[in-house]
Amino acid sequence: MESISLGAAGAPYDLIVIGGGPAGSTAALYAARAGHRTLVIDKGLASGALGKASQIVNYPGAKGPLTGADLVRSMRDQAASFGAEFVTEKVLRVDLKAEPKQVWAAEPYQARAVVIATGALGRQQHVPGEERLLGRGVSYCATCDGAFFQGQPVAVAGNNDEAVDEALTMTRFATKVHLLSPTTELEANEELAQELASHPKAALHLGVRVLEVLGENRVEGVRFAAKKGDQEEQTIPVSGVFFYLQGTQPITDFLYDQLPVSEGGCLIAGEYRETTLPGVFAAGDVVCKHLKQSVVAAAEGAQAAMAADRYLSGREKLRPDWRHS
Amino acid sequence: MPILDSGTAEGVKQELADLGGPVRLVMFTQEFECDLCAEARALVEEVAATSEQLAAEIYNFVTDKEKADSLGIDKIPAIAVIGAEDYGLRFYGIPSGYEFASLLAAIKAAGSGGAHLEDDTVAFLQALREPLHIQVFVTPTCPYCQSAVMLAHRLGVASRLVRADMVEATEFPHLAVKYSVMGVPRTVINDTVHLEGAVPEARLVDKLREAAEAAGQS
Repeated sequence: MESISLGAAGAPYDLIVIGGGPAGSTAALYAARAGHRTLVIDKGLASGALGKASQIVNYPGAKGPLTGADLVRSMRDQAASFGAEFVTEKVLRVDLKAEPKQVWAAEPYQARAVVIATGALGRQQHVPGEERLLGRGVSYCATCDGAFFQGQPVAVAGNNDEAVDEALTMTRFATKVHLLSPTTELEANEELAQELASHPKAALHLGVRVLEVLGENRVEGVRFAAKKGDQEEQTIPVSGVFFYLQGTQPITDFLYDQLPVSEGGCLIAGEYRETTLPGVFAAGDVVCKHLKQSVVAAAEGAQAAMAADRYLSGREKLRPDWRHS
Repeated sequence: MPILDSGTAEGVKQELADLGGPVRLVMFTQEFECDLCAEARALVEEVAATSEQLAAEIYNFVTDKEKADSLGIDKIPAIAVIGAEDYGLRFYGIPSGYEFASLLAAIKAAGSGGAHLEDDTVAFLQALREPLHIQVFVTPTCPYCQSAVMLAHRLGVASRLVRADMVEATEFPHLAVKYSVMGVPRTVINDTVHLEGAVPEARLVDKLREAAEAAGQS
């Protein structure tokens, strides 16, 4: 039998930060240091833009050599040292109008204020056949749907921790798991990547673009081609295709239109990183800007945390009185 | 060995501390040809033991057929969660893993008899004239599924015309085949309309409206 999870949200946090990159980690650092009970919900160290960067040379004060993952880890450790909590989960849905605000990930959570710092690695568009065959072999959750593909071949599209982890999950059910990676090297935890690469049921197709999910009423195959070179397209028969691809779109899908977005799909935030909903703030690459740099995202995270602090302490209308300082 | 460890049982006790009214967990089982009936029964009895306002009633699916029919139970293991009245809240298959939270939510909803829903949803339900049967297919390892089940159950509490079932897809493979379930949550309404994923309330209501209109025309 599966384990029992109570599934009820515990006591509300003061602040939930969605996303643990430079914006989210800095927001958590400032909020926790201000004494607020703070939770960061993040998909994984290598799931964001900074975490993927192989080398960081221009972050002030961090001369290196260090990787993006090193820098993110250091930011998180610093936030955790002030009491911020971190969980590795994917936020699925939120209710930002409720009091307290509700956040559903693998577990439900609640908080009085929320900072959205989900970055901009969302997918822009679907592959032909993907939407049409959703629920008919196309899935975004191997953990949920793996059992439906017992004894059948499947494909997993993606190159990050999530993709590799879910591909490993599928090796328990499927006869063959084809990993279709957009990059020639996996951008995932090395141990996980190695485990998958050496798994007898796994076949890695590196540096490929998924062109189409094939099938009439259910998935029957997937068509893909190498991104470079003159290799011909390939079609392999599969019963399921699991998508974990990333792009350059601000990640706002879990909001289901609760906040306005710009034409480019970015969240809109004001001078103090506030959104149109009280107690909800946005920082980092999910907010449109000309300079998508970690140092800018971190600064915005600090601004969002301080604005959240004012909101949480009921001082959002107050301004510093510089005349008496 | 109990299914709920002592820490979990204590958590359940706190969660169900004030139900607002008595709730019956009416369970149908049998001792053969039912893989998880014994575990489901143990779970129901252990949950019922956490609150004086909760009672477990165990029936045999074959010998108590009349009772099963009266509650519309057609497969096992089955749990009907019944408060001051029968709101049509059902669990088919064991509500374990992430679905245990759905069971607790259903118990609380049945106890209070109230459901927090958006104004548009309430208006839709008040205008409803045709019965709606919502089946939410789930797996216990699906973190997305519980919110779909809880929403369906809230609709059940809010309207006598709505029946809302959780169906654990891997325990009822024939239904998974019948309703083409290859991903969860998959919500099937009146056998005619279906919906993928854990969607916001307004989107589910659009689909319910579609099913109600189809029912009205038939």
